[in-house]
Amino acid sequence: MQATQLEHAISTIRVRFGSQALTRAGELPPPQPWPSSTPLDRLSGIEGLPRGRLTLLTGSGTSGKLTLALNLLAAATREFAHAVVIDPRGDFDPWSLSPFDPELSSLSVVRLDPEPSGEAATALARAGAGFILLMGEIPEPWLGPLEASANRSGTVLVGVVDAPGRALAHASSLSLGFSRIDWVWDRGELVGLRTITRCLKNRVAPPLGESELEIRYPLGPQLPFSTPVIEVPLEKAEMECVSAVV
Amino acid sequence: MRVCCGLTRHLELAKRTDLYGSPVIVGRWDDHVIAASEEALPFGVAPGMPLRQAEHLCPQATFLSPDPEAAARLRELISSALYDLAPVVEVKVEGIAWLDVSGVVRPGDSIREARRRLRTAIGREPRLGVGPGPFSARVAATRARPGRVVQVEDARAFLAPLPSRELALDTEQLERLDLLGLRTLGAVAAIGPRELESQLGREGRHAVLLARGAEPDELTPWRPPQFSSAHRQFEPPIEDREALLFVSRALCGDLADELGLRGAGAKRVRMRLVYESGDPEERSSIVRHPLSSAAELFGLIGGWIKEWQPRAPITELWIELPVLETAGRRQLRLWAGNDGTSEEVAAAVERLQERHGALVVLKPRPAFISSPLSDQRFEWVSS
Repeated sequence: MQATQLEHAISTIRVRFGSQALTRAGELPPPQPWPSSTPLDRLSGIEGLPRGRLTLLTGSGTSGKLTLALNLLAAATREFAHAVVIDPRGDFDPWSLSPFDPELSSLSVVRLDPEPSGEAATALARAGAGFILLMGEIPEPWLGPLEASANRSGTVLVGVVDAPGRALAHASSLSLGFSRIDWVWDRGELVGLRTITRCLKNRVAPPLGESELEIRYPLGPQLPFSTPVIEVPLEKAEMECVSAVV
Repeated sequence: MRVCCGLTRHLELAKRTDLYGSPVIVGRWDDHVIAASEEALPFGVAPGMPLRQAEHLCPQATFLSPDPEAAARLRELISSALYDLAPVVEVKVEGIAWLDVSGVVRPGDSIREARRRLRTAIGREPRLGVGPGPFSARVAATRARPGRVVQVEDARAFLAPLPSRELALDTEQLERLDLLGLRTLGAVAAIGPRELESQLGREGRHAVLLARGAEPDELTPWRPPQFSSAHRQFEPPIEDREALLFVSRALCGDLADELGLRGAGAKRVRMRLVYESGDPEERSSIVRHPLSSAAELFGLIGGWIKEWQPRAPITELWIELPVLETAGRRQLRLWAGNDGTSEEVAAAVERLQERHGALVVLKPRPAFISSPLSDQRFEWVSS
């Protein structure tokens, strides 16, 4: 009896709102990852960053998350026709991106106050921009539309924040926490840092994984880094994940 | 050129499948016979003869008035069914379907599928012929058994022994050929085109070329109608904007799928809402770049719905694309990675700049990279 009523309810929803309104989980397409060629691919569990979903890089200052995000951005400028930086603070400097060999012709920077920056990110995600880097928080009302728009177009969304608010953390599908463990010195010069990267939350795969990364700072545009992020083999690399931050 | 010809019944006869197996004659009273079924032919009935004479020869036949509109609809149906099997498809109401399969990777599969679709559309097995051109393929098809293929490699050799009445000439011209002793296509092919042109006019020259297998005729490719629409009825009528948005998104998805199959984009978009009471409302727009994806269509339609103030419960939603254009240039998407087209993103950027000013979206251009001052290293260009 209940099964009949359930079938009736399902058919009503499909008739009224279209066949795509209600889909069985088994019929949903698998998430299509964007292979970023960084150690994050392994941590995400799907061999890449998820398309159409928000990936958060979090951690205190000087933990290496922005350097890693710039590495991702440079790769995206080479691969996608449109890579966009949403820069509410207005302090994004393309010079910091130069060592990663970006394709600047496909890079756009949106400089707006935090409130309209959510609208801009949503509009660009809906239009189908391939990669959007959020350099700060997005107002809570825009998180839902942003996620929905990115989901339809398959935009790769990456956010870089020190400590995400509850709404942003909730909206993310993959959250990676960075914590610095050591500095890397070379001939008395600071060249990078070692950081532990933990998968804090993962909606696209089992939330497992922890890696130690060695992140080399860019030294200047004349010396492009071929592998600025080096994954250090770690015996406990597949540790159990810390539970979600929210 | 490699042409497959599928020969079916005249489409005036094919639209009445219930009369299959009995003699049927189509023609207007006091006029000529347009089509006659195979069962009527043994009585001496032939297309082109006066209908009174046909009635005298075969009084037991069912006589139908022609319905050119229905036949044309059936022709469109068959054309659209065969459209994706070959680059060029032509269907005639006389019951002839040509497919130019030259260049098709697996022509056998196309021919097999064409046979199946013709059988579905007409209700009878078609006769199939394959030849180097439309004429030889059609003549080959007339010699095939239902559901079988006659393949022609050397058109001239195949046509040579066949009677000259295979040529599309009028009775007087055929009689003249007979008087000249040109009773086979081989005999017609043996004389020069100018000689026969002096006897029969331009048709004579054309006949010689056909008989020689030169295939002077080109197929006229069928193109799908440049119009598309999708609609949904609501029972009971709805007032909820979210539900309307949901349905319109699904309709946009359906239309985008259809546009994708056709390789077309919508140059004009029209949305119509039918209310439970009162006149329907509609809104339309001509877009600068043809819209072809579901996201593009819904970007426009969804914007309208969001700002629409419905007067009454809505019973019907129509989304019409009255003007379609080729979207071939949109294949540039292939080169643009996996993201949207430049036009879509450019339109989004334009909208942002209209709302917040031209300097909200900028592109960095290298200026003095080695400068110690960060402001001098890059210049910012409005996107």
